[in-house]
Amino acid sequence: MRRSRLASEGKALLFTLPAMIPLSLFWFYPLVYVVYLSFTEWDFMSPVKTFVGLDNYRYLLDNPEFYQTLRVTLLFCVGSVLPIMAVGLGLAILLSRKRRGGAFYRMLIFSPWVTPTVAVSIVWSWIYEPDVGLANNVLHAFGLEGIRWLEDPNWALVSVLLVTVWKSAGWSMIFYLVAIGHVPPDYLEAAELDGASGWRKFRSVTLPLISPTTFFLFVVLTISSLQAYDQINVLTQGGPAGSTRTMLYFYYLSAFDAFQIGEASAVAILLIVGCVALSLLSFWIGRRTVHYS
Amino acid sequence: MHYRSGMRRLLAHLLLAAVALLMAFPFYWMTTSALKTNDEIWQFPPTLWPHSPLWSNFADAWDAAPFARYIGNSIFVAAVIVVIQIVNSGMMAYAMTHMPFRLKNAFTALILVGYMVPVTAVYLPGYVVLSNLGLLDSYAGIILSNSVSIFSIFLIRQAFLQVSHELVEAGQIDGASHFRILWTLVFPLARSSFAVLALITFIEQYNNYFWPMLITKNPDLQLVSAGLRSFFVQGGAYGLKWPLIMAASAFTILPLLVLFLLTQKTIMRSVNLSAGASKG
Repeated sequence: MRRSRLASEGKALLFTLPAMIPLSLFWFYPLVYVVYLSFTEWDFMSPVKTFVGLDNYRYLLDNPEFYQTLRVTLLFCVGSVLPIMAVGLGLAILLSRKRRGGAFYRMLIFSPWVTPTVAVSIVWSWIYEPDVGLANNVLHAFGLEGIRWLEDPNWALVSVLLVTVWKSAGWSMIFYLVAIGHVPPDYLEAAELDGASGWRKFRSVTLPLISPTTFFLFVVLTISSLQAYDQINVLTQGGPAGSTRTMLYFYYLSAFDAFQIGEASAVAILLIVGCVALSLLSFWIGRRTVHYS
Repeated sequence: MHYRSGMRRLLAHLLLAAVALLMAFPFYWMTTSALKTNDEIWQFPPTLWPHSPLWSNFADAWDAAPFARYIGNSIFVAAVIVVIQIVNSGMMAYAMTHMPFRLKNAFTALILVGYMVPVTAVYLPGYVVLSNLGLLDSYAGIILSNSVSIFSIFLIRQAFLQVSHELVEAGQIDGASHFRILWTLVFPLARSSFAVLALITFIEQYNNYFWPMLITKNPDLQLVSAGLRSFFVQGGAYGLKWPLIMAASAFTILPLLVLFLLTQKTIMRSVNLSAGASKG
């Protein structure tokens, strides 16, 4: 009996190995390793890693560039997450009723999401071209002055955000469509019998019922906006004058451009702490909110 | 009343049509720009459709950089990763749902922690690991480091939770091994989740840029995004040969749009499933 128990334990472990080996190598071990690296000074090449305690963190907190990075990150998160959710919700409301061409609209609006970010960012950098690009041509047509989209520190972040929102709005729309589809029609009918207007029905019935989706999207989109890299790399490389340099981009530059591994690791730790805190918050709130499915 | 609702419907249609046009227009603009001559593309006002479409731009762009190689690399790497993830996610999810073992809770917690950590934040230590293993600049490195996805594991686990223990026990009574039960009894029941896994993973890996770009310097190993980006930046292409750049972007993007057209339903359903998977 004991032998068979042992054998079944072994078999189960064997089943987990194909996933656990790469997970340990490329996920769990690096996670521990980056904590260690954040307490050292290293340049990738030299055989010694000098232990420096909390110096890397102290250096970060004394670095004005880091605070600019934090500000850009915050702007990027707010400026991408909220519009993606708002546009997605608006479109979902319009498309939630059966209407002719609905499937066609849905397809067009969702399509940017499947395309490679690098390739579509290149297309957008052509649209943003200052002399003959489409964006400035449209501005000219309205008698407005052209903008140097990617070279003007006041506009570069907006330009990157536009691409980001364009790419993901359809994705959040699909989530909202599913959520709105799950709202029980009797609730809406009951509200209607009570004399509720369209807006009132939406605000008092639909919106509270889809709040788990809103919350889920908020967390997932925030975490993914903290990790945005491709479009920034193609469009602005963090410039001009650091106006699009997010924390992740800062991390990338200090690791693979300046070879300041310790400092980069400290930034990574801050990013990880931020994301884990957000996820934990979401689990905690998720447990407290009532699910209707 | 009737009149008002008619107006409203029209307004909704106009709004939707405007947004849909806006979303799709960059793809249209890419295609027409790819067909213009270098003179026409600098013309003001711009033409909506080129005077004489220059289809040869596509052939020229295709030859200007090893795009066949890049796209081949992307398809090969993505396909291998899909197969590996089907196997390891299936086995892991099966162990988590239908095999009792002592470390189960510990493993589940560990994976949950992994789910919360942003991948990009561990790229630096991951790079050091890969370099210590001597796997930088190799297909093995790209494939191995992408060979497991926590999302995929959760997705399949969610599907396997719906499969009854009785089915597994019946298989055991018939003398089938767990391996056999997994792939002949449980797998077919969860095949729609596996289809979603395959499709989403394929798209994700085909489009993958940041990590593969970090760990491969050899141009022969570049995936299509990195290859396209170096064509964009180098070789005098930057800002000078827009038609060729747009043509190259077009043949990178169009296969995905076609794939999307063919598998729309599965892809959109994946959104549903992914919400379920991340609720744990």
